[in-house]
Amino acid sequence: MVGLASLIELFKDKRWIMKKGAILVYILKRLGLYIFTIWGAFTIAFLFFHLVPGDPISSYVRSMEQRYARKIQDSEQIIAAYKKMMGLDGNLFQQYTRYLYNVIFKFQLGPSFMSFPTPAEKYIFEALPWTIGLLGIATVIAWLLGFIIGGIAGWKRDSPVFGIFTDLALVISQIPPYFIALALLFFFSYTLVWLPRRGAFDAYVTKAFTWDFIKSVIIHGTLPALSLVLTALFGWFISTRAIVVSILGEDYLIYAKAKGLRGGDLLRNYVLRNAMLPQVTGLALSLGFVLNGALLVEILFNYPGLGSLFRDTISMLDYNTVQGIMLISIVAVLTATLLIDLLLPLVDPRIGRESSN
Amino acid sequence: MATLFKSKLLLIGVSILGLLILVALFQPLINRLLIGDVNPISMGTFESYAEPSSQHLLGTDRWGRDWAAQLVLGLRYSLVIGALAGFVATLIGVTLGFTAGYKGGGTDGALRTFTDMILVIPSWPILVVISAYIKSLSIPVMALLLAMFTWPWGMRIIRAQVLSLRSRPYVDLAKVSNLNSFQIIFTELVPNLLPFLGVALASSMVGAILAETGLELIGLGPSAGVITLGLMINFALSWGVMALGMWNILFPPVLFLILIFVSLNLINLGLEEVYNPRLKRVTGG
Repeated sequence: MVGLASLIELFKDKRWIMKKGAILVYILKRLGLYIFTIWGAFTIAFLFFHLVPGDPISSYVRSMEQRYARKIQDSEQIIAAYKKMMGLDGNLFQQYTRYLYNVIFKFQLGPSFMSFPTPAEKYIFEALPWTIGLLGIATVIAWLLGFIIGGIAGWKRDSPVFGIFTDLALVISQIPPYFIALALLFFFSYTLVWLPRRGAFDAYVTKAFTWDFIKSVIIHGTLPALSLVLTALFGWFISTRAIVVSILGEDYLIYAKAKGLRGGDLLRNYVLRNAMLPQVTGLALSLGFVLNGALLVEILFNYPGLGSLFRDTISMLDYNTVQGIMLISIVAVLTATLLIDLLLPLVDPRIGRESSN
Repeated sequence: MATLFKSKLLLIGVSILGLLILVALFQPLINRLLIGDVNPISMGTFESYAEPSSQHLLGTDRWGRDWAAQLVLGLRYSLVIGALAGFVATLIGVTLGFTAGYKGGGTDGALRTFTDMILVIPSWPILVVISAYIKSLSIPVMALLLAMFTWPWGMRIIRAQVLSLRSRPYVDLAKVSNLNSFQIIFTELVPNLLPFLGVALASSMVGAILAETGLELIGLGPSAGVITLGLMINFALSWGVMALGMWNILFPPVLFLILIFVSLNLINLGLEEVYNPRLKRVTGG
């Protein structure tokens, strides 16, 4: 609603006609920068990958030869033929342009080396929902809880209980989720044996939209999600509390108090609503970074998301799949920042486009 | 010294880190006190999986090595790698951040875009690939690799700071009084930047140790003979200590790493609290 109101304001404003050209230029510039940054980041990542000497096919054929102590006939031709199929023939520049061409114009990542000739995108799209589901839900839960508790803690900042809680939060929010995952796994899965140790659902449950399956997914997802929630929750708690404390000193709040507003109304309508905007921005940003944040946690729980896919493909230098995962991650983060840069000036009139960089 | 006491967070952070550094520095001495003149990583010195006792404070591992002695050694290596990578990353970050902030305009735009590119690349996968294919990974090489991906945080901190310092009145005054850029940089800007160099260094160290731990956790890291806290966790997991219920093996390295992260981050928050009062909302103080 805030967005709509400020849009209407913007239309009423006569300067809008003058601004229109400037806004269009800004949007185009920002879009150009977005595409340029994706291209640059991916190119750097591509180069780093291919700095590694050797290629997966030659090393596979050589290891076969060693294992069976016999020279494979026409091994050079075999290697060349497979390289062509995998898109690994030609020099680095040719490989690079071909890869980009296939991704942009055909939406193809090429065959995966892990199980040739299945396309790499098939594995990525199988793993992606698990990662997005786990991390998305964990992030949203952490944000909601952190925002609410943080808001109340800021409101009641003189309370000693919340004081201790804040000190605790400062420490806990700095612990990487992986270590929390280790502790949770040790206590709840191994010592108490309450929750499963690995995977995303029980092997005997068929993958279907049934209560059994959903229950199994929830039970398996609890620990990985909890380890991600805990760190993030305390992070959101601290930032929300800090914002609320700073709002408490604002003029409009003093005015509202003078008007006679008290308690819940004041907290809901004046404090939390104003704290919402920066924190929603933060939420959108963290949803973008979500892919990077939890690869290790997924690997620890053997959760069938992108983290585990990465672990399985990296050891055989499955370029096509690994590059695909990187590309998704890069695009996710940059898209989140793009959306915020474009939408925030509309939603929050206090932010000018000049200062938004 | 007085600044230390201006912030509770800074004081706690510095105390914890100082204690850890002392332990790491006196590692040879502590090793002698714990197990005598025995190499802590030579195998089969003691019986394997001994319970914690007065002889072995944290028990022994599967290969009959005193776990407490290894912990101290691991702390030493982890801190050395983190500090080395942190220094290199800070050097890169400060140079680029300073250039971007001071020059402004096109230079700033180009450097900022480049930094954003590095920042959004998932560094862990790339580090995994590179370190898997470097035959013998020495500590300096490892530190360089880590620094390559951890400098952007320092760059952003320093750039923002230089941007704000540049437009302060006393810099204008220096310009009007005909000081050249070199003089302005070293007499007006650098002294005000010092605390933020600390912030940049601590952030880079956190990033580097985190990345190094991530590599060790899946079994990649500096070559044989170098034991780090991350590698100890990797060992513990591969021995299945969770199923054996051996908390004494699993948790000490985890706890030490947590102490490192928490102390570095508290130093960061504390420094910002003292030197950047406008950022006081970080802690809500």
